[in-house]
Amino acid sequence: MVDLIYLLFPYAIAFTIPLLITSLGGLFSERSGVINIGLEGLMLMGMFVGALVISRIEGFTPGTAIWIGLLAAMFFGAIFALLHAFACVTLNANQVISGIAINMIAAAVTVYLARFITGSGNVQIIRGLSRQTIPLLSEIPIIGRLFFTQTYATTWLVLAILAVATFLLYKTRFGLRLRACGEHPHAADSAGVNVYLMRYLAVTISGACAGLGGATFIVTLSGEFNGTAAGLGFLALAALIFGQWKPWGILGATFFFGFASTIANVSQAIPVLAQIPGIYLKTFPYVVTLVALVLSSKSSQAPRAIGEPYDKGKR
Amino acid sequence: MKSWLGLFLVLALIFAVIGCGADEPVVDENGVPDEENGEPVDEVAEVRVGMVTDAGTIDDKSFNQGTWEGIQLAARDFDLETRYLQPGGTTEADYITEIGNLVDAEFLLIVCPGFKFETAIYDVQTRYPHAKFVLIDGYPHAGDWEPVINDNVVSIFFTEHESGFLAGLATALQLGEGEVGFIGGMEIPPVQKFSWGFQQGVAYANENYGTSVAMQAENFIYEGSFDNVAAGQQLAAAMYDKGVDAIFAAAGGVGIGAINEAKARAAAGEEVWIVGVDVDQYDEGIYEGNKSIILTSAMKYIDVAAYDMIEAELNGVFPGGQILMFDAANYGIGIPQENPNLDAEVESIVQEAFEAMQAGTLQVAEEQGDLIR
Repeated sequence: MVDLIYLLFPYAIAFTIPLLITSLGGLFSERSGVINIGLEGLMLMGMFVGALVISRIEGFTPGTAIWIGLLAAMFFGAIFALLHAFACVTLNANQVISGIAINMIAAAVTVYLARFITGSGNVQIIRGLSRQTIPLLSEIPIIGRLFFTQTYATTWLVLAILAVATFLLYKTRFGLRLRACGEHPHAADSAGVNVYLMRYLAVTISGACAGLGGATFIVTLSGEFNGTAAGLGFLALAALIFGQWKPWGILGATFFFGFASTIANVSQAIPVLAQIPGIYLKTFPYVVTLVALVLSSKSSQAPRAIGEPYDKGKR
Repeated sequence: MKSWLGLFLVLALIFAVIGCGADEPVVDENGVPDEENGEPVDEVAEVRVGMVTDAGTIDDKSFNQGTWEGIQLAARDFDLETRYLQPGGTTEADYITEIGNLVDAEFLLIVCPGFKFETAIYDVQTRYPHAKFVLIDGYPHAGDWEPVINDNVVSIFFTEHESGFLAGLATALQLGEGEVGFIGGMEIPPVQKFSWGFQQGVAYANENYGTSVAMQAENFIYEGSFDNVAAGQQLAAAMYDKGVDAIFAAAGGVGIGAINEAKARAAAGEEVWIVGVDVDQYDEGIYEGNKSIILTSAMKYIDVAAYDMIEAELNGVFPGGQILMFDAANYGIGIPQENPNLDAEVESIVQEAFEAMQAGTLQVAEEQGDLIR
């Protein structure tokens, strides 16, 4: 049993990271009062841009290509999210519908561009990120084996972003203003906060995070853009709600999803787990989410102004 | 606001209808209208070849692509017009719609790769008697598995077990000693036969060539889909961690995940292998320069099958109403011509086995028997 946990832990973390960063993006957007159902599409955009950029330049700069690809994915994720921000903030459109539109546009545009640019709907990269065991730290009993063996550099990058984001949201004026826009935009406005600007910023950050999440998935897990994010964006959205819109909450929620999905994925190859029918393992995280949502529905921590376009005149 | 939406929807509908109508030529290239029953007036009237894709895209580096490459080759050799359509989904209705579109556009030889087309072909073979259909990996039936093959349909099967056998033999010989595993997609006959053949090939090498390659039941599994890339990666990682040296991945997109994991490990200096499937996957496994983690591939010459059927139709000998078996004897299966990761010695032994299969002296069971699933 212990060996099993040692075996699965690094892979579970690897699966968690793209979810975590995407979910964190959703957190920014929703904390500012804009529902972001388009995470799936933003992630897909990140996958496409990441795979395309890396596959194009890895021949010349093998080492740095991955990082340039991740940056490009963040950039284009942010640009793409501006579309959502424009619809939701400037045009006061229905945020759910805009998010769905983002998902549909991403699915079509990425495949079209992939075909147009590379001639194929699938974009492969030759080299992904390699796993590394961190010297010294991996010697620590138990923790060392769980957290510091077989890790990806992106894991530490994303955890650092999580820490910075937590600080930003809770310890800085920017964070307070952003959260105020999601709770009571009129009050924030009367205190001199530019609600439109804050929401634009938040949605853009959300796009950058989701783009990074998609590209991380490419360089760590799949190695190939194939026109779908396979529901990971929606899983990140569920983790955001499950984690009650709090950074450490979503860390826990995404790790739960990551671990449960990993177990479901590899269960067949592990004799102890193979006895359990796969359907139970595969549905387990979703059933737990539903139960948790039912239990926490009375005391939901959702931002109060979420989903409402900001209308100055209503004040 | 609402009226705008309504107007938009109406316009969209109109365009959709116009769009459908536009690509339906009523008269064929030479300006000769077809007779009512669809028989070409002119004997040398050219054949127009269509294809409907199965799940996945035309460039899936597997089934669809293999079929399409065969069609393209034939198009070049015989100067034909070709077109493929990708259905909106994978239901019978989706398939029938696209087949209908091809027939309406006068593409009267239609290739459909995949067992999922079985019931759709059953329907269209009577609906469009003037069109001809090539069904790969399946036979037409009404959903009751009772074959009903009209004269305008040819049904093509491959001996996946023979292909898997050769790949298993090559893998065991090349490894010498070690352990192998198998990741399948859905647990359906074409995939199962790959697994069973592979196991027999490994066992054959152990018995006759003194290799000691282990196979454990826990390492022979079916992921349950053809598209869960992450699961493929994680399964392969778990297997390699348990000491498996080579994994036979017959699983489409799931296999891509496994290949990716193997590439990462090889780049880090580990010696791990993947055995490819359907087509020569060597290029998919390249991780540095031209070094690849693809040991060899258990191939089905889908492209050859598609090409042959087109050629037969052009020569007026379309084998309608038949079930054709592509096997070792007619070069329908095998491992790639070039396997940079195999020793020449190994390749020559595999070649001997291939010839023994052709001669009938080497039999590979296509049933599970007491093999691992």
